[in-house]
Amino acid sequence: MKSKTKWLTALLMLVFGFIINAHLANPVHAASKEPVLKIGMEANYPPYNWTQTNDANGAVPIDGSKQYANGYDVQIAKIIGKKLHRKVVVEKTEWDGLLPALTSGKIDLIIAGMSPTAERRKAINFTEPYRKGTFVVIVNKNSKYAKAKTLNDFDGAKLTAQQGTLHYDLIKQLKGAKRQPAMRDFSAMRQSLNSGTIDGYVSEDIEYTSYKAVNPNVVAINLNKMSGFHVDADDSETSIGVKKGNTQLLNQVNAILATISNKKRAQLMNTAIREQPQATSKHENWFVSMMRRYGSMILGGVGMTLLLALIGTIVGFFIGLLVGIIRTIPTPKSTGKRWFMKVIDWILAVYIEVFRGTPMMVQAAVFYYGIAQLWHINLNRTVAALIIVSINTGAYLSEIIRGGINATPKGQFEAAQALGMKHSQQMWQIILPQAIRNCLPSITNEFIVNIKDTSVLSIISVSELFFVGTTVASQTFQFFQTYLIISAIYLILTFSITRIFNLIEKKLEGPRNYNLMANQIQLADPKEAGLEHEQ
Amino acid sequence: MNNNEENILKVEHLQKSYGNHQVLRDISFDINKGEIMTIIGPSGGGKSTMLRCINLLEDPTEGKILFYGDNILAPKYDLNHYRSKVGMVFQQFNLFNNKNVLQNCMIGQESVLGRSKTEAEKIARENLQKVGMEAYAEAKPAQLSGGQQQRVAIARAISMNPEVLLFDEPTSALDPEMVGEVLKTMSNLAKTGLTMVIVTHEMGFARDISNHVVFMSDGVITEQGTPDQIFNHPQEEKTQKFLRNFRNEQF
Repeated sequence: MKSKTKWLTALLMLVFGFIINAHLANPVHAASKEPVLKIGMEANYPPYNWTQTNDANGAVPIDGSKQYANGYDVQIAKIIGKKLHRKVVVEKTEWDGLLPALTSGKIDLIIAGMSPTAERRKAINFTEPYRKGTFVVIVNKNSKYAKAKTLNDFDGAKLTAQQGTLHYDLIKQLKGAKRQPAMRDFSAMRQSLNSGTIDGYVSEDIEYTSYKAVNPNVVAINLNKMSGFHVDADDSETSIGVKKGNTQLLNQVNAILATISNKKRAQLMNTAIREQPQATSKHENWFVSMMRRYGSMILGGVGMTLLLALIGTIVGFFIGLLVGIIRTIPTPKSTGKRWFMKVIDWILAVYIEVFRGTPMMVQAAVFYYGIAQLWHINLNRTVAALIIVSINTGAYLSEIIRGGINATPKGQFEAAQALGMKHSQQMWQIILPQAIRNCLPSITNEFIVNIKDTSVLSIISVSELFFVGTTVASQTFQFFQTYLIISAIYLILTFSITRIFNLIEKKLEGPRNYNLMANQIQLADPKEAGLEHEQ
Repeated sequence: MNNNEENILKVEHLQKSYGNHQVLRDISFDINKGEIMTIIGPSGGGKSTMLRCINLLEDPTEGKILFYGDNILAPKYDLNHYRSKVGMVFQQFNLFNNKNVLQNCMIGQESVLGRSKTEAEKIARENLQKVGMEAYAEAKPAQLSGGQQQRVAIARAISMNPEVLLFDEPTSALDPEMVGEVLKTMSNLAKTGLTMVIVTHEMGFARDISNHVVFMSDGVITEQGTPDQIFNHPQEEKTQKFLRNFRNEQF
């Protein structure tokens, strides 16, 4: 009962937030005048940053959700925020989305355990480092690589590191190591190491410290001490990213960082390592414990997924209907109108080709970051997600509906024409009701595809079911169990929606036979009497 | 029969071609008020095409169609108004699948003629009674036999109070045992003084019902006249040859 009300509240808040944000999609520079400091981080990279469901240990709220972020980065951010007299708000953002979020002005600072590489320096500015790290390879204690002394001792080892990080490039310096595809986060690497699909992964020493706390069977091999190992000073450090041109903020942050002593930094890091989420204790059933801790979060994800799929399919249906109708208008007789129609038809064809021909994930990223960067409109991510799903679905459905209109027997058009009905009357009263009914299975299909495919919207950090699942998995380290639950939820959703639509179809179909109360044989002959034609 | 010689439709030098294939070459005839005109001839002779040209379901390539003296092919002509005056009954019935029998007979009255719902329903029910289908008012087309569907289609057409009713092979798609009920309905309709143009392969029916028979082959009117002239004393060789095929079965 409680979770039900929670779920409803979450949905209501979402809709509310959606409406409010749609009206207040304010330019970025106006937002930066408000006393809020928006910090971009994954909130999924302990001990630097992680997500938790309450504000314990001085956690900071995550924008657009009921969750909180904590960790070394958050504590550093709080010191900065306090000195600047600005309230710290965390914008939970995927790793690859951090730079575009900063350059497009969606966040003020990146504090995400990020190294100031030369490549990144081209796009953004970095402050003085707020932490210096040591590079290690984490392997299992009983692994043959656990005793490695030189860079050549990793011959044949299957190694990986986090996608898009310096760590991944460092593997090249380990002669003979087999570089595996990069992974999204440390949770995935821990899981892979545990299951034996990799021999080890490159990271900083703090990842070792925190992993060792939950899994005593791992050892770290220090790479910095090995001869021939080379890493730029910049790369072993972590710094705060600031948008280019924002020199004032850069100087302010540098001044504040200078006041935080090395001792204070080590103390903050140790606290973070101690407080970071631990693997669940073994006394409680994993399902019960997961539901207790993350049940409301998962329900929120279900609500978001349903909202996106439902609104997306409905709006997409109307877009599809409009496009389908326009594209089946018969060719006008006058030349001017014919050219006008040709241009419209061409534009719509381009729309369909573009949105059917590119992945929705890419569309979402281009749209969300693009409008922020080009027009400085800071769109709410739920709104952005709804727009993308709708437009994308519209492209598919316009072809389906056009097909449905074209598949309606020609005789239906002719009979309506012969009665003297206008094209619009023919369409609305005769053709579309039949076409839509025939399209219903395809529309159901599109709805189901939407429920599943909205998972790609995690690229713009919309907290739908898959995104929530990823967060839960990386915090409980129960990958199999979490994704099993998530897939069961997806299956329940799609299964029940299929049933509902099947019922609707059956209802529209109506009974096959028409039962007359009277004797049919008697009525089969036309009446002899009463044939008077009125003129 | 109606002896009023008022001219309703006048077709002048009508031609229709699809690319290089000329289906209709120079067709001219008149339709007078109260006349029952049947069009017979071999398949592919252009009968249906000509009927569809009259209703502009096909655009004629050349020629004129005059409705009470006005050329309906003129650019500004109100085509939908014209179509509401010229009804059509199709070979494949073409009842609206998404509407029930009653709605099929009402929709044209409401959306084209602007009649009120009550009035449209009253007229629809009267006409359904005339074709013996009033008991099926709530049925969907898919629930009816072919003959029943065609009778509803006739009721739908006459509910518009047309000046002329065109029949495009109304019994060709029917099972043999259902042909009779539709022909009977049409005969009854003919007695009301409605002007009818019928393309048909039912020679006996054509002979009995019509007062003007047109024989068409190869896109031209080969011969026309009274039923007696065409069926009993055909002058042209093509007509004679065509009718010989039917003599044994139908006469």
